[in-house]
Amino acid sequence: MTETDRSRTIRVATDVGGTFTDMVCFETDLETGASRITTAKSDTTPPDFEKGVLNVLAKGGVDPATVDFMAHGTTVVINALTERKGVKVGLITTEGFRDTLEIARGNRPDFFNLHYVKPAPFVKRYLRRELPGRMNYKGEETQALDLSDLAGILEDFRADEVQAIAVSLLHAYANPAHEEALLDAIRALWPEVSAVGSHQISREWREYERGNSAVLSAYVQPVAERYLRRLESGLTEGGFGGQLYVMQSNCGIDSLEATARIPITMVESGPASGFWGAAELGKLIGEPNVLALDIGGTTAKCSLIEGGEVKIMTDYWIERDRTSAGYPIMVPVVDLVEIGNGGGSIAWVDDFGKLHVGPQSAGAVPGPAAYGKGGSEATTTDANLWLGRINRDYFCGGAVEADMEAAGAALQTVADRLGVDRDQAAQGIVRIANNNMVNALKLVSLNRGHDPRDFVLVAFGGGGAMHAVALAQELGVKKVVIPTGASVFSAWGMMMSDLRRDYFLTALADLGDGAAAALEARFAETEAQARNQFAAEGVAADKVALKRFGKFRYQNQEHTVEVPIDGAVTEDALARIAADFHDAYEKEYTYRLAAPVEMVGLHVIASAEVGKLTPVEQPLSDAPAGTASKGRRSVDYAIEGTHEAEIYDGEKLLPGMRFDGPAIVEDPGTTIVVHPGNRVEVDRWGNLHILLSVTAETPTLEAV
Amino acid sequence: MALDPITSEIIQNSLQAAADEMFVAMKKTAMSSIIYEVLDMGTGILDAQGEIASSGAGIPAFVGVLDKAVKVIAAKFPADKVREGDVYATNDPFYGGVTHLNDIIVAMPVFAGGRLIAWTANIAHNSDVGGMAPGSLTGEATEIFQEGLRLPAIQLIEAGTPIAPVFEILKVNSRMPDVLEGDVWAAISSVRVGARRLTQLADKYGVAAFEQALSDFMDHGEKVSRAALAELPKGRYALDEEQDDGSVFNVKIEITDDRFIVDLRDNPDQSPGPTNSCRDGVMVAAQMLFKSLTDPRGLANAGSFRPIELLTRKGSVFDAQEPAAMGFYYELELRAYDLMWRCLAPHMADRLGAGHFASVCGTFIGGIHPDTGRQYTIIEPQVGGWGAAAGRDGNSAIFSSFHGETYNCPAEINEARNGVIIDRMTLNTAPGGEGRETGGRGVIIDYRTRSEAGYVTVGYTRSRFPAWGLDGGHAGSPNYVRFIPAEGEPREFAFVSNMKTRPGDVIRVITGNGGGLGDPKDRPSDKVAADLRDGLISADTARDIYGYEGEA
Repeated sequence: MTETDRSRTIRVATDVGGTFTDMVCFETDLETGASRITTAKSDTTPPDFEKGVLNVLAKGGVDPATVDFMAHGTTVVINALTERKGVKVGLITTEGFRDTLEIARGNRPDFFNLHYVKPAPFVKRYLRRELPGRMNYKGEETQALDLSDLAGILEDFRADEVQAIAVSLLHAYANPAHEEALLDAIRALWPEVSAVGSHQISREWREYERGNSAVLSAYVQPVAERYLRRLESGLTEGGFGGQLYVMQSNCGIDSLEATARIPITMVESGPASGFWGAAELGKLIGEPNVLALDIGGTTAKCSLIEGGEVKIMTDYWIERDRTSAGYPIMVPVVDLVEIGNGGGSIAWVDDFGKLHVGPQSAGAVPGPAAYGKGGSEATTTDANLWLGRINRDYFCGGAVEADMEAAGAALQTVADRLGVDRDQAAQGIVRIANNNMVNALKLVSLNRGHDPRDFVLVAFGGGGAMHAVALAQELGVKKVVIPTGASVFSAWGMMMSDLRRDYFLTALADLGDGAAAALEARFAETEAQARNQFAAEGVAADKVALKRFGKFRYQNQEHTVEVPIDGAVTEDALARIAADFHDAYEKEYTYRLAAPVEMVGLHVIASAEVGKLTPVEQPLSDAPAGTASKGRRSVDYAIEGTHEAEIYDGEKLLPGMRFDGPAIVEDPGTTIVVHPGNRVEVDRWGNLHILLSVTAETPTLEAV
Repeated sequence: MALDPITSEIIQNSLQAAADEMFVAMKKTAMSSIIYEVLDMGTGILDAQGEIASSGAGIPAFVGVLDKAVKVIAAKFPADKVREGDVYATNDPFYGGVTHLNDIIVAMPVFAGGRLIAWTANIAHNSDVGGMAPGSLTGEATEIFQEGLRLPAIQLIEAGTPIAPVFEILKVNSRMPDVLEGDVWAAISSVRVGARRLTQLADKYGVAAFEQALSDFMDHGEKVSRAALAELPKGRYALDEEQDDGSVFNVKIEITDDRFIVDLRDNPDQSPGPTNSCRDGVMVAAQMLFKSLTDPRGLANAGSFRPIELLTRKGSVFDAQEPAAMGFYYELELRAYDLMWRCLAPHMADRLGAGHFASVCGTFIGGIHPDTGRQYTIIEPQVGGWGAAAGRDGNSAIFSSFHGETYNCPAEINEARNGVIIDRMTLNTAPGGEGRETGGRGVIIDYRTRSEAGYVTVGYTRSRFPAWGLDGGHAGSPNYVRFIPAEGEPREFAFVSNMKTRPGDVIRVITGNGGGLGDPKDRPSDKVAADLRDGLISADTARDIYGYEGEA
């Protein structure tokens, strides 16, 4: 490490998006623990992405040499996939299965559409090759692997300028020996080619999903590795000597080395850090059950956190919607629902007079009509401005002068088509947008057997705070929490992340008498693998925390319910584990059966703390909230009518302050809409707690 | 009463969300792979009269079933008789069941403000409901009594309490009683989830607003259909088509400014075997095609289908009467659908392409799992090739127009769950479907059995007459099974019932390529070269059929 000021630590989150590279810097005074937060934004600089990162550090006044810890998020993987900018891949698979990648699952989601186009495989048929050799589902070899054709296949691949090879053999999840032997042979014959086996990405069954994951990983690997190496050398040249970690889709961070090998694990890392942040915030404020909502410019994403745990799944698909089957990627990804409803979502009226909001977005250019950059279509942001929810004189934190004429004209178009006035059109847009988001929130909560009344709603992103209270009212949520710095909350989440790996393994077993020893052995084996992997990277064994989950179902079912398992799996523990499953099952599906229970797989979370941020409590202020008031204005709350609302300056609100709605809190990055009847309290960390209805028994935060 | 359009819209969006939620609840708890993997199921929300207002994902052939079933249930159990917490079921095509006895429809009345405001319902294929053969489907059935237990619109649950004897009768009649019970409970939990959501909606917005929104929603569906109908070419069209069994089917379609009239009266008498459909079944076929022609992307509800008029003849294959066997109704429904498609395709080139493999290719393989000793039953529809359409080649390996959001079974899961060996699963590169735009490819799947005393049943159509080409494009290739016994001579068939298998026998399923469009000689040579490189066509085909002069 270069010369650093020993009285403080500097942690930086950098995030490279398609258009902008963002930075958030947390400078922590070691004595008081207090953090000063600086943010900066600059252009993304393809293909020299590291330049953009160095630029944004410079813009934020951060000397790379002083940075102790950097977490890096990037859209390089998802962009390479969706823009088809990966490399040419060759696939080697089990004899008889070269077409699995193209047959896929055969589904037609857009089922009345006779012009449906099935997604094309990422590897054309002539580059999909086969080798004899079979494992069965128990992981036993039934036919030896025959490599005699391999040299010829690799020659063809070279001649066809293949740059990466994916290997996907049947039942490799149960026994990867054939895949390993094949990869060794490829490396011996062609050392410089990028090669990956399906078992390195997933140890779960379903050959199409696992094979496609290997193909997509191979497709992006050279691109992502080049990116990460250049980032590393660029930062090193800039003087950076701290620890560099890369944000993953499972809400954890991982080393650059591990990520460069299997970069596909970054695919959905964008939203993951915010949801992790929501889980950490929940634990901090004593609310372990959280509905987390992130509203950005184009989409809204939500996820459910129960008991402080984010839910991680391996059922992830890209480019999948009601009109396309998409492509599966079987990697651990935070369980989330995303819909095309953000601040920039366009409102439109169809041929039959029905109002819709999204999924088309006005994007950054031209943006909402009120940006005055030529946008003529009304967006959710225009409606929020029109209704006085966003301050027209403090638009985008005062950075943009709101073009109310353009916003009004855009709303007039919608109003004319609906046959209503502009106010009603704006109210309608907000109500439809809210309804879309409520349905998404129901998908992650009610739809999975959770009662939203048991959760607090944590809303962040640029637009989260604007809609949160209306959504909470609809869902019956009692409290909304808007984190301090809601617009850079994802970066805060990154600073709170652990090194984390999720291991999913298909392992069929009946849960009858005598089953415990074999199950315990599978868990122990997986945990040993996790520990060894961390040990190889220099993480001390005592820093590694392990958590066990079993995936269970009633015999003959397919879908499983994941149940946490505490301690060793012993014969005595089996009955308790089965009872936990019956309870969890009934909670989610309203009934239970007397049928035998079987285990289908296991899930082990291995994590290690790497010096996360410690939030600091502030003393509670006696000052009245009125000192933060900026005045009053008329705000249209859609269903609840128009009210004179007190306007507060978010930067002047202090811990301990308290006020009632109707009110608006204006922060440079976000606007918080507080409805009539709400009570707001600022907690010791500066987060706003909005209690939806105030009763005599409403506890105050001093009790927290 | 006029309802504020935004509230109406919000209620309607929430109906869709509730139907989807019902779908997920059912899929996740079902015990039969035909439900949870193949997703041979559907969910829907109906108004108090049983008109379908909103449907969940699943398969298009089930969208139009639920209303017909609920109307029969509602007639038998009128509003003053049903109580909150009741659940009803039917599976009999002669009692609103539309399809065959394996498909049990479960329906629940929904109450708010003290009165019946709607129904939630679902349908799913159950693995075994009794009858003369395992899996309940057999080509040998001559009467519906041989195809399983008949539920003529009956009550399952009374005010929240299961009627125990009914469940006992259900279970004792099935060869897989636990699976049947699990699947029926999955269906019950799904209608309950939906009912709860609807009650919440009606409580929040008021019963009057809720009912108005439903009614407006269906009127909206009708408006959309009528606007699209106005765009279709008007006229009378007709087609005769020979079937695999030598009989000839006929359709006449008349499209006017406000009606879509399908006449299926001139068709053979009902079959002595199970290849029959009831009138409701071919109505669903007409609804599916009409929807695809008019508004394929939009919502489908009762209003969408109002312009359709269907004419059938009682006692014909398309309007079979009790006690006809109905097990393979789905092939008849598909034949009616494909007949209408083929009849209209030459007149609507922008909307309709060449024919697809057009068979469910229902494949039933069973036996005892050699590793677990438990009975297994594979019930799988198969993927196949679709026809070429204006400007693009047909899709390879997707499910027929009967199925939609349906998934094939991974080999790894098939081997573990059913104890068979899948030797291969590849695209079908047989000739067929050549054209300027080519038909998509069917598949070849080898199931090698390991079970003693196993059996196989299949019933495929388009085996003698493959998918039809259009405008000079070649026909596709046939659907059939090649049975390769461990000992003895291989043989080929498209229909077989409960044929015994031995360990080591291979059941090779071969599904057809879709029809081609346009003269193959007009196919751009770079595309022919790519097909050649990909091993999809032979050098001879490239030269002789496509006139390709490049290097082979």
